[in-house]
Amino acid sequence: MSEPAFDTIVAPATPVGLSALAMVRIDGPGSTSILTELTRSGLPAVRNATLVELPEIDQCVVVRYAAPHSFTGNDLVELTLHGNPVLVEQVIAACVAHGARIAEPGEFTERAVLNGKLDLVQAESIADLINARTALQAKLSLSNLEGVLSRKATAVRQTLLEVIARLEAALDFSEEGYEFIARDEVRERLNEAQREIAAMAETYRRGHATATGLNAVILGRPNAGKSTLLNRLVGTDRAIVTPIPGTTRDIVRETIEIGGLPVTLADTAGLRATANVVEGIGVERARAAARSADLIIYLVDATVGLTAADQAELDSLDGDVLLVFTKADLTHVNAELSISAVIDHGIDELLRVLDHRVRKQFVASEGALVNERQHAAVLECWGALAAAQQALATALDEQMVLVDLYRAANSLGLLVGAITRDDILSEIFGKFCIGK
Amino acid sequence: MNPQYDLIVIGGGHAGAEAARVAARGGIRVAMVTMLREAIGRMSCNPAIGGLAKGNLVKEIDALGGLMGEATDRAGIQFKVLNRSKGPAVQGPRAQCDRDLYATAVQELLTAEPNLTIVESSVSSLIIDGSAVRGVVLGDGARLSARAVIVTTGTFLRALMHSGEVKRVGGRFGEPSAETLSDSLRALGLELGRLKTGTPPRVDHNTVDFAALEEAPGDKHPRPFSILTDALPQPQILCWLTYTSAFAHELIRANLHRAPMYSGQIQAIGPRYCPSIEDKVVRFAEKERHQVFVEPEGLQHPWLYLNGISTSLPPDVQDAVVRSLPGFANAQIARYGYAVEYDFVNPEQLDATLQVRGVDGLWLAGQINGTSGYEEAAAQGLLAGINALQAIRGGEPVILRRDQAYAAVMIDDLVTHGTTEPYRMFTSRAEHRLLLGCDSVYERLSPVASQLGLLDAERQRRVEQRIARMSRAVATGTIELRPDRETIAWLAGAGLELSAQTTVEKLLQRPNVDIDRLVAAAENAQPEFAAAFRALSEDEREGVVSRLRYAGYIERQQREAERLRADEALRIPQTMTYALPGLSREMTEKLTHVRPASLGQASRIPGVTPAAIAILRMHLRRGERVA
Repeated sequence: MSEPAFDTIVAPATPVGLSALAMVRIDGPGSTSILTELTRSGLPAVRNATLVELPEIDQCVVVRYAAPHSFTGNDLVELTLHGNPVLVEQVIAACVAHGARIAEPGEFTERAVLNGKLDLVQAESIADLINARTALQAKLSLSNLEGVLSRKATAVRQTLLEVIARLEAALDFSEEGYEFIARDEVRERLNEAQREIAAMAETYRRGHATATGLNAVILGRPNAGKSTLLNRLVGTDRAIVTPIPGTTRDIVRETIEIGGLPVTLADTAGLRATANVVEGIGVERARAAARSADLIIYLVDATVGLTAADQAELDSLDGDVLLVFTKADLTHVNAELSISAVIDHGIDELLRVLDHRVRKQFVASEGALVNERQHAAVLECWGALAAAQQALATALDEQMVLVDLYRAANSLGLLVGAITRDDILSEIFGKFCIGK
Repeated sequence: MNPQYDLIVIGGGHAGAEAARVAARGGIRVAMVTMLREAIGRMSCNPAIGGLAKGNLVKEIDALGGLMGEATDRAGIQFKVLNRSKGPAVQGPRAQCDRDLYATAVQELLTAEPNLTIVESSVSSLIIDGSAVRGVVLGDGARLSARAVIVTTGTFLRALMHSGEVKRVGGRFGEPSAETLSDSLRALGLELGRLKTGTPPRVDHNTVDFAALEEAPGDKHPRPFSILTDALPQPQILCWLTYTSAFAHELIRANLHRAPMYSGQIQAIGPRYCPSIEDKVVRFAEKERHQVFVEPEGLQHPWLYLNGISTSLPPDVQDAVVRSLPGFANAQIARYGYAVEYDFVNPEQLDATLQVRGVDGLWLAGQINGTSGYEEAAAQGLLAGINALQAIRGGEPVILRRDQAYAAVMIDDLVTHGTTEPYRMFTSRAEHRLLLGCDSVYERLSPVASQLGLLDAERQRRVEQRIARMSRAVATGTIELRPDRETIAWLAGAGLELSAQTTVEKLLQRPNVDIDRLVAAAENAQPEFAAAFRALSEDEREGVVSRLRYAGYIERQQREAERLRADEALRIPQTMTYALPGLSREMTEKLTHVRPASLGQASRIPGVTPAAIAILRMHLRRGERVA
């Protein structure tokens, strides 16, 4: 195939909408001639920001790049206009009138790759460049994975390979007089793989938390001192504090660093049944925030003590709850954690406990899953293993079980390299005497 | 000057027979050149056709209008569907054949073709004109001209037989070797390699005590391979089973230094799935016994084939090993086992139609491409024949998809990966195995052959009727069943309960549904269902039940196959230059080496990275857009 020449394409390089400036890029052999048509004057020098007139449209700053020294490797022109969508449209229309084609999404980057200006890994963030099913993700992910996790994934891969090979052998070499693998053993080995996979999936919580930070929610009955604690932890009067129960309605959020991670603290409305519509909404929001929180700090007013209502709230929470008694300056508290914002008692201890918890439960030590793709791959693997177990349980024969095991192997392949048909045959011929 | 023939097929084995016949049926003038006319269709190794995955290939051949299924039905003396207890996608029909009747059947089928001439001669070289092949030079120096040539020489290229320390030139016992043809192939720039295969000893039927052997019967209701066969003509016989012992293993170990594979006399690679008995004993020392299938070579034939102990040990060791088998104490070996070494052409040098890349008019099929097995050879012969025919008629190439046929899986594997050992078909090589069951073969492939005009009227009629019958029955899957009195009574008759509304498909997905009882009692409650299922033959009924029972799995594989199809449809021109920006030198080399026909094939080349595929995809798409 002879290499078809690039044609000339044009597209806005900045998002459409009102802004201070907007950029339009023209790429390809016709870009310079289109520029002279637009300006009706001579060409500006290469790689020099030049103010030019676009007659009847706008003034703009032009930077011209000559092939191969440009982002795409082709002749490329960048026009910086005032950020008005109408102007941008006019300029693009004028370019099209002079022979350019509107670029497809990702096409500038694609040209850069085709011209060898970017390698694919650098260009990977371009959404449509890489088919999501490809194992390139595997390669990329693999380089991110280290130590324990990759050893675990490799062990699961080996288990899958051995089980798949034996089930395949039972299909392809059923005349050989072997029982290649008993159903119970398949079940057990898949259980073992599922446990490993679940443990890997578990690392995502830490990996993801490490990458993106945590959400913590301060909960408690009205007037338990939630806003006071937030202000104390943040170090400013961020939330309004009054002695009136139910002061906080909407959620107030502030981010601080705990255990080396950014933790977003949410101060919420006090939990109680209320006839006030606005407060009722606030209470609902508090509960919703608690459901999606990584960490819950539940405050109990020490002067009131742990009430039945508190206990009911605590029972309804799942997740990690830290129980803290407040207003320790007003009464004697016999509890692990008690604080008083007024006399600055217990705050350091609370921070120390929080720090410990975050480090213990959320900070990824090594080789955790950090991105959603890896996590999705591991979950897919787990789901496929579960489906295979289901097929086993309903006594479906090997080929149906294998459909799901291949799915499991493929999703795991995104982390540790695929299991190929040759791997399977080699495993069979290596372990069993085949050949009547 | 007009060539004497349109097509010359070199070789009369299983690949050659299919290639010659299908091309002749397509209306072109074909010559088959074979060293020994009476050896056409000869079974050089075990006297059986089919088996797991191989049986599917035979059915595919039948659906495409080939002859192997018909010949097997005429010569079959013990039919058995393997994996009967498993889903139909991995069931493999197999037939023990009378080897003489089989060869006769093939010869009769070929003789019946008016456009086919059989020439009894060796071929010393190809007539090469630049980069085109224009005929062959016969052993006596005579020249036969043609537009195209298909080489199906099996194990006969520079063949060397080994039996103990003794070496003989020849591709099959008592038959010569093709010594010079390899040079013609090399002259075209092809790289040749060396492979090895082996056969076990054959024993005189009258010297065996059958009472000491286990019986191995065939199916009670033998099922023919071909859609053309209504009844099997031959009587059905027994096979037997026996086992090797520790004593035999000791004997073999003590004589390993005299085995050509171990003495270094043979360097070529044999198949891992069909090891010699000496290999089995060495590699699996812990195994106390190995199976030996005792297979009659025919109804009247005096020999038994000892399937499982292929060997090239010297005759005295073979005698001792055979006589150590239970029931074989007085056995006389009629022919000793031997190993054959032969040249093969690494199939990476072929395109997806099995044509040699860069050479006009030359196709290769069968064992010359590094495969093993009659069925693998025949399927290649058929597709090479169809493609040579198409090229001569000016038609489009016929490249089947991997989700369409085992034959396509095999050819794609061969031309994409090449091979280092004799390639055999396994169901596990097919990623969409559930779509490739024998039951659906006529739906998948007959339309292809029909469009090419390769199905005769009778086959066409039978195929259409079968497909109509089965789809009518499959359609009953959507019938809704309500728990009314009549339905409950019907299902109770088949041992089933119904408490809530369901469909026939869902009902069949329950474990242990007895379809026969269900159909038998359906007359009143579901006359439509009863009629549709009564019209089916036993194997059609099994096919329909499995389609309904596994509908969810089948649909999933279909969706997956469709998703991959886009890449298969993105064709790569054979003139493609792979020195592309963004591709590493290694990727460029691999792609240039294989010259994939489609992006899908490119993605299956070992070592070609997904990143390289992404770049290739961009280049191909850009080609489309600008064009």
